[in-house]
Amino acid sequence: MTNYYQRAIHSREELSDSFFILWIWDDALGKQCKPGQFFEIRPMARLQNAFSTRAIPKLFKPISIYDNQGGRIGFMIKKVGGGTNALSTLKAGDMLELVGPAGNGFPLVASRKILFVSGGIGYPPLWYLQKELINHNQIYWMHGGNTQSDIFPSDESWTVDGSLGRKGMVTQGVEANLKRLGIDLVYSCGPLPMLAEVSRVTSLHNIEHYTSLEAYMACGIGVCHGCAVPIGTEARWDYLRVCKEGPVFKAEEVRWEML
Amino acid sequence: MGDVMNQDRKPRCSANKLLETNLGRIKLKTPLSVASGTFDLENLEFYDAACLGAFVTKTITKLPKQGNPPPRLYESEAGLINSIGLQNPGLEVFVEERLPEYRAKLSMPLMVSFSGSTIAEFCEILETLEAQEGIAGYEINVSCPNVENEGIAFGVDPNMVYDLTNLLAQRTSRELCVKLSPNVSDIASIAKAAEAAGATSLALINTLWGMAIDPLTGKCRIKKGIGGYSGIGIKPVALALTYKAAQAVEIPIVAMGGIYDWKDALEFFWAGASAIALGTANFVNPLAVPELIMGLAEFLIQHDLSIRDIIGKCE
Repeated sequence: MTNYYQRAIHSREELSDSFFILWIWDDALGKQCKPGQFFEIRPMARLQNAFSTRAIPKLFKPISIYDNQGGRIGFMIKKVGGGTNALSTLKAGDMLELVGPAGNGFPLVASRKILFVSGGIGYPPLWYLQKELINHNQIYWMHGGNTQSDIFPSDESWTVDGSLGRKGMVTQGVEANLKRLGIDLVYSCGPLPMLAEVSRVTSLHNIEHYTSLEAYMACGIGVCHGCAVPIGTEARWDYLRVCKEGPVFKAEEVRWEML
Repeated sequence: MGDVMNQDRKPRCSANKLLETNLGRIKLKTPLSVASGTFDLENLEFYDAACLGAFVTKTITKLPKQGNPPPRLYESEAGLINSIGLQNPGLEVFVEERLPEYRAKLSMPLMVSFSGSTIAEFCEILETLEAQEGIAGYEINVSCPNVENEGIAFGVDPNMVYDLTNLLAQRTSRELCVKLSPNVSDIASIAKAAEAAGATSLALINTLWGMAIDPLTGKCRIKKGIGGYSGIGIKPVALALTYKAAQAVEIPIVAMGGIYDWKDALEFFWAGASAIALGTANFVNPLAVPELIMGLAEFLIQHDLSIRDIIGKCE
């Protein structure tokens, strides 16, 4: 059940200039989480101090769960804007506000030949998913980014600038891998154009594909309808909420052309 | 971190006579309501529902509405721009599925917010709802800035507000609250028109027109370009319009617009509001409702005042 929490940061890890991990420790909370779910998080802010601190409290930011084991819950974060920059100033002992766990999560499967496709900050939710699936499935992971600092452990790396792994977009290698590895299921997370392209390829080959979408959010709990995306068939679709019915959707049902 | 609260100690609100207020025909145990579309049953997981004096639903329309294309949100320097476009499942689903759930789970008065594209449609929705139990009143949304030819088309014209409110007032003895837009030249004349036609309370303000553009690309942050601006940045506007409306009418006002904490709330009571509502604050602080009530109660006790003592008494 999605709820509101205040938790101290247990530890913090630096991955690169722009990526870091915040860890909290909560056994009971960890047991409620599933791969693909997220929390809305923010550095602890007290509204009463809004004027004395000059800071106007801002919205929470949706951050997917990167890892969850034995009560240790991790958020792998990239500094991309005000919210994530504020999170980047936190250290062990600082308080975090959280609303979650939120969203539906990825379907968990067994005995499948799976392809992961991630781009940049789409990596973290697949890391958590991989830990849940690895003992029961064959997984091949393709990960891409702009440059080498966007690259994390995977089976096949792609960089746009060619600084690490193969040069180009990760999507360039998807079709070949589908055939070569006999893939029957794809999970993806990353920038929208990347997801749309992977979806085009999996539709072409009629391969089951679940994709995790990102959206600007206000409430994170399904009440404001701010994060809605068009889901359904071309003839019949509805705006569904990334925070409630998502963030994971069947790729074939996402109306990519409208996004 | 002495003031840390979390779900392990779900914030509670105890009954307090000092907090009681009236909204037209209904009595509120606390003067705190919620802005339509920013709040639902999910929020009540975070704290005790007794903190709320009334519950206002997301606006419903006769037929389901898909809402506006994304992106629908942008957080600006001091508030939030939204363009949801009244996405809702329509009257039929509301009555059959949502309403029973609200009846089962809520103990405070339930206000149903609705909008329409014609006066006949407003009347039809009201008549359908009149046949349902468990509704304390209606909030007539004539002020949504994010839909064309609906709601706000009525709310900017005193004559239209009068005609619509008059027909609705003839059809109900429940609380009839008209929600007004700030995007008008003279709020007093519109408030007076609603009162004269039989509204028993007013809600104000809905969002202001707002816009944001990515300075580097020239791309609008909201798909439809212009949205509704809410949050802390609109508080002075909301306060001034509350004051103007309160000067113009006798019926009670539930005020909203950038209220984040108990001190903001007090300003609105002094300006003439009988009750206040939280909207964007619910997003920015999930515990805004209980914290506001606790702060307000503490202030009233310390100064030996009740809400009713201070309504409209600003100097």
